[in-house]
Amino acid sequence: MFTKIKDAIKTNKKTDTQSVLQAYNVRKSFGSKGNVQQVLKGIDLRVEKGEFVGIMGPSGAGKTTLLNVLATIDRATEGTITISGSDISKMKDAQLSAFRRDRLGFIFQDYNLLDTLTVKENILLPVSLGKVRKKLAEAEFRSIADILGITELANKYPHEISGGQKQRTSAARALINQPSMVFADEPTGALDSKAASSLLGTLADVNEKREVTIMMVTHDPLASSYCSRVVFLKDGNIYSELYKGNKTRQAFFQEILNVQAVLGGDSVDAL
Amino acid sequence: MTLFDLAIRSMRKNIKHYYLYFFALILSVVLYFVFATLQYDQAIVEQGNKMISSAFLAAGILLIFIAGIFIVYANSIFLKRRSREIGLYQLIGLKKRTVARLLIVENTLLGIGALIVGIVIGMLVSRVFLLLLLKLIGFETTISVSFSIEAVLQTIAVFIGIFALTTIQMIRTVYRNTLLSLFNTEKAGEHPKKPKTSSAAVLAVAGILLIGFGYWLSERMFDANFFLNISGVLISTIAGTYLTFRVTLSWLLYKIRSRKEGHLGLNNSLSIAPLMHRLKGNANSLTIITILSAMTLSMIAGAYSFYYSTEQEAQAKMPFDFIFENEEAFASEISAEMKEKGIDFQQGIVEILVTEGQLEEGALAVPSDPLYIAVASDEQLQKAGIEIEAPGTNSASLHSTSSLSMFMDNERLPVDLYLQDVKEPIEIEAFGEGNVINWETFYTQVVVNPKKYEQLKTDLAAKGSAEIRRIDGFHILNDEDLEEASALYHQPKYNGKNPRQDYYSTVKEGMESNGLMIFIAGFLGLVFLVSTGSILYFKQMTEAEQEKQSYSTLRQLGFSVNEIMQGIIRKQIFVFGLPLVISLVHSFFALKALSYFFQTNIMVSAATVMILFAIIYLLFAFLTVGYYRKTVKMALR
Ligand SMILES: Nc1ncnc2c1ncn2[C@@H]1O[C@H](COP(=O)(O)OP(=O)(O)OP(=O)(O)O)[C@@H](O)[C@H]1O
Ligand SMILES: [Mg+2]
Repeated sequence: MFTKIKDAIKTNKKTDTQSVLQAYNVRKSFGSKGNVQQVLKGIDLRVEKGEFVGIMGPSGAGKTTLLNVLATIDRATEGTITISGSDISKMKDAQLSAFRRDRLGFIFQDYNLLDTLTVKENILLPVSLGKVRKKLAEAEFRSIADILGITELANKYPHEISGGQKQRTSAARALINQPSMVFADEPTGALDSKAASSLLGTLADVNEKREVTIMMVTHDPLASSYCSRVVFLKDGNIYSELYKGNKTRQAFFQEILNVQAVLGGDSVDAL
Repeated sequence: MTLFDLAIRSMRKNIKHYYLYFFALILSVVLYFVFATLQYDQAIVEQGNKMISSAFLAAGILLIFIAGIFIVYANSIFLKRRSREIGLYQLIGLKKRTVARLLIVENTLLGIGALIVGIVIGMLVSRVFLLLLLKLIGFETTISVSFSIEAVLQTIAVFIGIFALTTIQMIRTVYRNTLLSLFNTEKAGEHPKKPKTSSAAVLAVAGILLIGFGYWLSERMFDANFFLNISGVLISTIAGTYLTFRVTLSWLLYKIRSRKEGHLGLNNSLSIAPLMHRLKGNANSLTIITILSAMTLSMIAGAYSFYYSTEQEAQAKMPFDFIFENEEAFASEISAEMKEKGIDFQQGIVEILVTEGQLEEGALAVPSDPLYIAVASDEQLQKAGIEIEAPGTNSASLHSTSSLSMFMDNERLPVDLYLQDVKEPIEIEAFGEGNVINWETFYTQVVVNPKKYEQLKTDLAAKGSAEIRRIDGFHILNDEDLEEASALYHQPKYNGKNPRQDYYSTVKEGMESNGLMIFIAGFLGLVFLVSTGSILYFKQMTEAEQEKQSYSTLRQLGFSVNEIMQGIIRKQIFVFGLPLVISLVHSFFALKALSYFFQTNIMVSAATVMILFAIIYLLFAFLTVGYYRKTVKMALR
């Protein structure tokens, strides 16, 4: 089935209304002449609206690099990337900033909350340039805080709340501007398994109810079992993909473990 | 690897952190060395004035204090930035003693480097400073600045003392702190708490009221309780300033913030929030910086005004170039002498009645003692070349440049003056600007019209309660003859009972001592301004480092450098603007009070100094903003 999608991307690079993200032949190299390291070696990827895509792979495979490139934080050396119809590879830096702010959401491994702001102020940051009406923003804040269970924490500072709560705050901040897509780099990396499951459950929930498209990099097979699709990366190439389909989470989890065993890398320390 | 190698290596790696501390060291050395050079300079030593050398001594001590505080402060910022590294050394197993030794070696190397660089730069720039000084004093000889061994030795001695302090500071950092605190100092910063609304509101308002009261009192402190008043002014403005920074500001910011209900906006998130975060730590330094800035500013502006009003002040005191009182013989002798030398002059003869008198109760802001009074007629004065007119047929104008003039308030006019043994008081209708007869005579002078004068003369002379004296006043018509005429006047053969004072030598002496005063005040002010500006700059640099993560987060969230910079600039407006504005207002009132001591208007010269001060301050603000911009740009590669 996914070869079909791949073909579709190859034959028709034009925007497809259903695809949130299309990446074609994305390459990324680091280093200067004479010492070039190619980290992404031609990645084709298409994400449909409402998908929850996990990206897995051994350390150094290029997961973070891919995420950064797709999320417009870093530029690809080669290739085209389209998010909801806008070709980001052609945009200028200023345009990219505005695009990130208006259309994308981010969840970071170490939360990246601003220490000086309260939970609510942190969450409202992406809409802080005043382009969104205060009433609307307030309503959005309430509904998201409610879903993520952090309504009570609104006036607390980051140093007063737990890691799990911080990550929920960070997730709320990623969702506040109703982004086309949310990018998360190991959002559960610093959480214990209970806090992690709870956050992932909520993300899956948000993904389903609000039809938010999410792309998440993770090392943890359990975390990726919440996704609707998992893409495996190895040495800068897509190694394989798994769809959850109608399988139970347990069955999907088992499948992921199997691929990881073949892939090698850090499946061991996940257990 | 020896300790020395390790020190060199860590210095190379830390050059970014060192350069700030190193810069502070060099700057202090340069300024101190320039000062010491001037102190020992032949041209100034030969002036041989006792006042000059003691002024240099006092300023030198003050300079050591400022430099010491500045360096210790810069070092503490520097140590904070490096605390993680110091912790790391201990973590990898170096003994505390070894780490301390490492730091001492580094500090010694830095110190020697700064001394050498600083003294060399100091030698290059001290000439500029000497020329400036001599110009201010009114010396027009060209002198080369000679290399002074004393200055070098003195500089080295002073800075060895200061380096010893910083070394102790470093050792304390190593021994006193736990590993954990060393790793956490970089993050330190308090978290804003909800102020207790009732007491905070009271204190917040009290801060403003105290400053206001200080200003109010400064306007009317020249009365019998002068010393009580001036202490009141100082205490209430200083306390008010502290409260303003510590309570009023945080209370206001808290109010603004809570009104936003979480919808803070980017600009406020980057200004109000981090300000509140660090307000407790910053309140002390902001208060000190503000108060000291205000004092420095007043000091420089005062000195500058003194300097620029020297001539006008002398003119006010001495309307004639010189006079003789009841010394007709001297007057005709000097006339002949001047004619012989070809000096053009105008001689005026004024008769005065010298008597005692008393102003009516409440005529001045303070109770006034009996006055020693000289009465003169306006007609005679006009003939002698003094432009003055009695206000009316029966009224008079009162002239004085003694301390009395500080309390002469036009709003109290007209007032009555009772002369000894005269029933009818004279109505004083105007307080004159300056004297009508030279200061030498010490009288409070009263100008009436000729008719009144004749009447008083007959009245008083009949009773024998006034003495008639003759003033011979001279005006030298060409300025180039002033010096020669002054020399003639000061010949021993003309010595009288009072030391001779003339316009020319008064101005010259005034220029010399005030020129020196303004130089020293300006020099200290410059040093002070540069140190406080640097301290604010260093502090902001540290804050920028601490906030780096926030900036990279914001950049990732999609805020552009310019959008982030807007918020940061708003923060800098607070950080630099608030101390600047408050100290400017403080010194405005200080100078307003000070202007009572001047016969002339000092606001122009004071404003010049204030503008200069603000410009230098803004320069540091621009540097800081530049540094932030670099940090924000680098936050996302
Ligand atoms: N800015 C950079 N400059 C040079 N090389 C880089 C840079 N960022 C990443 N790399 C290299 O690219 C490769 C992939 O890095 P990346 O961070 O994408 O891996 P990852 O899959 O996210 O690994 P991990 O699971 O450990 O986070 C690594 O070999 C890394 O050294
Ligand atoms: Mg990674």
